[in-house]
Amino acid sequence: MTSRPISRACLVLLIGVGCVAAMRSVWAQGPDVGTEAQRESGKQLYARYCAQCHGEKGDGEGYATPHLYPRPRDFTTGKFKVRTTANGALPTHQDLVNIIRRGMPYTSMPAWPKLTDQDVTNLAYFITTFSPDFTNAERVPQPVPLPSAPSATDESIAQGKKLYEETGCARCHGTLGRGDGPSAPTLKDDWDHPIRATDLAKSWTFRAGSSREDIFRTMSTGFNGTPMPAFVDALTPEQRWAITDFIVSLSGSDGPGYSNLVVARHVRDPIDLAKGTASFAAAPAARLPIVGQIMEPGRAFHPPTTSVTVQAIYDAQSIALLVRWHDMSAEKTGQNGPSLPVPPEEEENAAPGGSQPAGTSPFGEAEAAPEGAPQAEQDPFAEGAAPSQASEFSDAVLVQIPSEAPVDARKPYFIFGDAQSSVDLWFFDLARADPLQFTGRGSADIAPNDTGDVTGVASYDRGEWSVIFKRPLRPASAAPFAPGEFLPIAFSVWDGFSRERGNRRGLTQWYSVYLEPQDVPSAIGPMIRTALLILAIELAVVGWVRWRYGSRARGELGEPRQPTATHA
Amino acid sequence: MNILVVLAVAIVFGLLRFRRAGLLAWAGAWWVGVYVLLRFGFSAPIPASVVSLYMGIVSIALLAYVSSSEERRDEVSRPLVRFMTEKRYTALLGATVLAIPALAAANVYVRMNVPLEPPLFSRTVHPASPSEITVHDKKIDLDTAENPFLRLERTNPGEFRTHVENGRRIYYRNCVFCHGDDLSGNGMFVHGLDPIPTNFTDGTIAGLRDSFLVWRISKGGPGLPEEGGPWDSAMPAWEKLLKEEEMWEAILFLYDYTGQKPRAREETAHQ
Repeated sequence: MTSRPISRACLVLLIGVGCVAAMRSVWAQGPDVGTEAQRESGKQLYARYCAQCHGEKGDGEGYATPHLYPRPRDFTTGKFKVRTTANGALPTHQDLVNIIRRGMPYTSMPAWPKLTDQDVTNLAYFITTFSPDFTNAERVPQPVPLPSAPSATDESIAQGKKLYEETGCARCHGTLGRGDGPSAPTLKDDWDHPIRATDLAKSWTFRAGSSREDIFRTMSTGFNGTPMPAFVDALTPEQRWAITDFIVSLSGSDGPGYSNLVVARHVRDPIDLAKGTASFAAAPAARLPIVGQIMEPGRAFHPPTTSVTVQAIYDAQSIALLVRWHDMSAEKTGQNGPSLPVPPEEEENAAPGGSQPAGTSPFGEAEAAPEGAPQAEQDPFAEGAAPSQASEFSDAVLVQIPSEAPVDARKPYFIFGDAQSSVDLWFFDLARADPLQFTGRGSADIAPNDTGDVTGVASYDRGEWSVIFKRPLRPASAAPFAPGEFLPIAFSVWDGFSRERGNRRGLTQWYSVYLEPQDVPSAIGPMIRTALLILAIELAVVGWVRWRYGSRARGELGEPRQPTATHA
Repeated sequence: MNILVVLAVAIVFGLLRFRRAGLLAWAGAWWVGVYVLLRFGFSAPIPASVVSLYMGIVSIALLAYVSSSEERRDEVSRPLVRFMTEKRYTALLGATVLAIPALAAANVYVRMNVPLEPPLFSRTVHPASPSEITVHDKKIDLDTAENPFLRLERTNPGEFRTHVENGRRIYYRNCVFCHGDDLSGNGMFVHGLDPIPTNFTDGTIAGLRDSFLVWRISKGGPGLPEEGGPWDSAMPAWEKLLKEEEMWEAILFLYDYTGQKPRAREETAHQ
């Protein structure tokens, strides 16, 4: 009996010794920076694949840098966004490997699926040579514990929503997660470049990946060099998983589900602009990707808008289009126009969001301190909302259709038309009450053509613009919209905060709008007719076979002749 | 050919032979077998209209075969008659009689709910170039023009590398957004572009003269002839943004980075 407690104590001691030994071996491992040969191999790969953006010296000053936003990582500072390690710590070797493999969606950092595992490993080792921190034995990165996920439930989402507000996420990311929090316009990174709070309602654009594990990791370890803090100490894993579940619920879908067609649905009641977006409840939504206008001088390499969502309805007289997109802040002052000049020098080093005076980081110094106090307990938002000063350029949106309905495949040039075929531009400067019309014959030839046919109404709510355009189906001098017909359509969006105007904007290529006929033929009638016809033939055949051969057997039903004939 | 599908069909036919299947089973097996081969046996998909045409021929052939003699007619009709008259098949017969109209109705439903597709325009990918273009008030004869920096590779390798490096800078400041970091046409804006940007790594540019490239670069999408769909292409007319030598330097970089050579002029002369 006495031997048992002793053996137990021995066991505890053994485990303790084992743990200490294990810890020591981790520390003793030292920095994981690969061999000389691996780094040398990585150097060759870096020169070929990475130096153009990240620079020969790894300082993020490559050839492409003036046109990139977010800017390429400066490896010399040792500050890396996506890590499994504590706030302010270096990334692990595996963290570096992962980000090279996966890239950062919706930035200029691509994924590198073509590189072999060995190549990526060598690259990751070479990157460590840019910062002395990686060889510092006291800064060997240690992953923080990232426990696996409980399954998402309605309760966890509701709890996450509550925590999201209590923790202050909404101050930057906005109440509905659209990156429109009151602090969002003031955010800067450690290099004093303006930085945007992530639009949490578009999970496919998340820099560090959109899986639940990715979101949980980001929330736990933060983004070094940015105002995004780490919550590994401030929140329990359960709380972080709950917020993760809430963030996942904000997007509504796994991917953007980009479309190429806007289907306009017929409505019986006359369209009333005063009813606003409610009129569009039954109309299918098409999300169309926005790309930078990088074809004409005055280019926008990284428009903050990545997509517009379009719905359309029509009644006996008119068609109405609802265009929605997320915008960090509504610029309702200043002016905008499709042909406002953009000085060529603005293409260089044009970081979006330069128009507002810099605020301090909403989290103060907290994000710089690796072992800092839990940020959530501070009041990082004492400075309050962004100064609501007048913007030079207002937000704006534009719908483009051909001036004449195309008779064949030929369309006007997708950027404001061309000399041969012009486009109608429905332009809504959101500092004004009503839209204007222009005729475009190319970016350099845009003339006012305000027939007064196009009316509209715009509203901004919690990070989203909703703009409705309305026009008669068949005006005196413009392309008609006809039920059952397709018409090319394209969109442009200007973000006044990013000083977008004229050629500097986000745009779509040509897509189509289709007016679904008022009476969509029901499939029920033809289905029943076909089924009855075949059933009758079957019964006739079976009946005949039974009458002819069936003296031996008696039954109720019958069957067709030869499967070959039926199938054919 | 999709070898696995072909093998599977052959194995099923072998098994039927081994089990001495009746003529009716054989007719059915031939019909299904040919359909499977047409539909799944070829790596390039065959249009549905062609498949149904072939299946019509197969059906007629099978009908003709099984009705070509008294014996065969009997062999086929006997199991069918038994199926329709014998009591033990009544339940199965009833199910079949109901299943066939239900399937036909489902088919009608699917056909009436084909997703809407906007009108398609099939463009010519590499339309013929004009014989001459004017870039920055300078005429370039596309039949004779060659990259002025290409010969430096032999005569002055140092200067050649300088021009390649200039091309590299131009590429990553301007072209990377669509044509991608590794030049394979997968830049960050491709999800919003149709036609998609050219992939420079797949050998396409090795089959083109470098004068063709200077035409495509200087005049861009708007400079395409009608059959190229100039209204849809997002390729800028780079003469608005780059000097002529900068375009040649970018072309130099495209060939150098991908380890390719432009098609030589002598080859064109033969055509």
